[in-house]
Amino acid sequence: MNSTPVRNLRFSQVIGEAISLEMEADEKVLLLGEDIGRSGGVFGVTRQLQARFGEARVRDTPISEMAFTGMGVGLAMAGYRPVVEIMFVDFIGVCLEQVMNAMSKIPYMSGGNTRVPMVLRTAGGCIGSAAQHSQCLWGLFAHLPGMAVVCPSSPHDYKGLMAASIQSDDPVVFIENKRQLNKLVSSYPLDAFVPEERYTVPLGKAKVVREGSDLTLVTISASVGDALVAASRLEGEGVSVEVVDLRTLVPLDIATVATSVSKTGRLLVVDEDFLSFGMSGEIIARTLEELGTAAVRQVKRHAMPDIPLPASIALEQAAVPSADSIADVIRSMS
Amino acid sequence: MPLQGESVPANEPSLIELYHTMLDMRHFEEACLEGVPTREIHGELHTGIGQEAVAAGIAPWLRGDDALVSTHRNHLHGLAKKVDPYRLMAEIFEKDTGLCRGRGGHMHPFDPEKRFSATGIVGSSLPVALGFAYAAQLEKTDAVAVAVIGDGASNTGAFHESLNMAAAWKLPLLVVVEHNSYAISVRFSEVSATPTVAERAPAYRMWARHVDGTDVEAVSEAAAEAFAHVRGGSGPAMLEATCFRFRGHYEGDHDTYRPRDERKRMLVENDPLTLAEKRLTELGLASEEEMARWREASRTRAREMLARVRSDPLPPASELHRFSFAGI
Repeated sequence: MNSTPVRNLRFSQVIGEAISLEMEADEKVLLLGEDIGRSGGVFGVTRQLQARFGEARVRDTPISEMAFTGMGVGLAMAGYRPVVEIMFVDFIGVCLEQVMNAMSKIPYMSGGNTRVPMVLRTAGGCIGSAAQHSQCLWGLFAHLPGMAVVCPSSPHDYKGLMAASIQSDDPVVFIENKRQLNKLVSSYPLDAFVPEERYTVPLGKAKVVREGSDLTLVTISASVGDALVAASRLEGEGVSVEVVDLRTLVPLDIATVATSVSKTGRLLVVDEDFLSFGMSGEIIARTLEELGTAAVRQVKRHAMPDIPLPASIALEQAAVPSADSIADVIRSMS
Repeated sequence: MPLQGESVPANEPSLIELYHTMLDMRHFEEACLEGVPTREIHGELHTGIGQEAVAAGIAPWLRGDDALVSTHRNHLHGLAKKVDPYRLMAEIFEKDTGLCRGRGGHMHPFDPEKRFSATGIVGSSLPVALGFAYAAQLEKTDAVAVAVIGDGASNTGAFHESLNMAAAWKLPLLVVVEHNSYAISVRFSEVSATPTVAERAPAYRMWARHVDGTDVEAVSEAAAEAFAHVRGGSGPAMLEATCFRFRGHYEGDHDTYRPRDERKRMLVENDPLTLAEKRLTELGLASEEEMARWREASRTRAREMLARVRSDPLPPASELHRFSFAGI
């Protein structure tokens, strides 16, 4: 633990601080998106940035996601480092074309002669907004080749991974979790220290955020916090859970997962994104490919069921993985 | 027609120059056709045969610092943007010597030095071109971003979004519409609320011109005006050129949707090369013999390029993953 006191910041402010430092360091960084300028973003991430860096670099756009996402692609091709905000990840449907056919494919299609150093910032996660405003969809982006997919969980990583994403020469989808954005960083169950200076956390490195010996729990984004809470509870019940925070889905650090599973022999993947054809199945398949079936005694997936997220809190709680449900699943495995 | 008054540019191209450009474009495309039956080009191929006057007419006005984002039918725009024809043809033939080392193919050529790129998705050139236009505005240069689209793209949502943004922010965007009347098989007139695309531009308070896209002089004249408008900082412009796609949408398209007499008539009456030859003769600028010599020289150059491309290696399978991310 660092002895420096935790600053009284919200997750949204941590991300804003990272963007602000990158904009100071590199005049080619600029922001496009709906409501990011005058209002500072619906989650407050870009607050004050337009006042500091001007309207040309922090540009409020019309509700034309296809046009301004493609504009980001063109700007990146013209030598800029655009950070394009899609307010809710659910809105990607109206501009997925520019993400899946331009942003992510041009680097490869061009034989490496054209880089697209663009960050698509967006917010996923479940905050009671039902089917069209509560999805995660990181599995969708990870399925499509050519873009890094970054989903931080800790305050420290939110800042460092955002800085690394902006500095990356590859296209990056950066998914913030709405369950965290408005919370104080001190609510995070691990170290919430966020350095004031500029720093990066490398893309593609998972982290063992809690050591344990009985089971490996792999997850990403806000579910890491829930997993940590569940793991502490189970410690009292005599179950030792190792928690791996993937931090990025692409690149995927399967080696860290495999190392942990080779020790515990059991693997649970928790995913706030949809269950089928997604992250949970992929992590299990890759771990088995890596270690062989003999090395793994038990695998389990705990993810959002394959239904549009319901509005009623009674149904929502039955669908979204939580610390309680994670603990129950682990108990069922014991 | 010669330009009048202030709009006469210093480097107004001669009809002979424009004709030469069109000849090279036609022969480039004809050389590409040879790769289809041999399966050297093993996917689709969309050629611009019949539409040369549009690309040739904008070519003289394109500067090196202008960006151009083209479509699935992009070869002629690449040539207009002075992309190395050999490396473009090598990419079309899927070679390791191609612009994109065989990763892009004919629909996705990228030449960042020439600021030329393309997309195979109809309508998607516009948003990317907006980015180049915004870059020019930020840098306070008079560079122009050109988005080429077909008439079919004018019915996409990206068209509306992009035109609105370009006009709202006065971006230096020139939209060149190659109106060949067919979105694959569907006639523009049967699915569009307006007879032309250009008449929609005033709704966005955009400057627009409609021109006969088989008349290379008319295209060049209108392009001069369009580029001058955009370079002058007056916001976006649209140049719609009506033209004829001589081949099917792609090679192998049986083209049964166009009546036979319509196809026949188009080849006789609307070939921009034949029309230019007629005018060169009328004006006494070139004799039949001279033009025949020029045609032969241009065809020979294209065939020599084709031979060179054919002898080039394909990309090694061992490099399948190369270029997937920076540093890989």
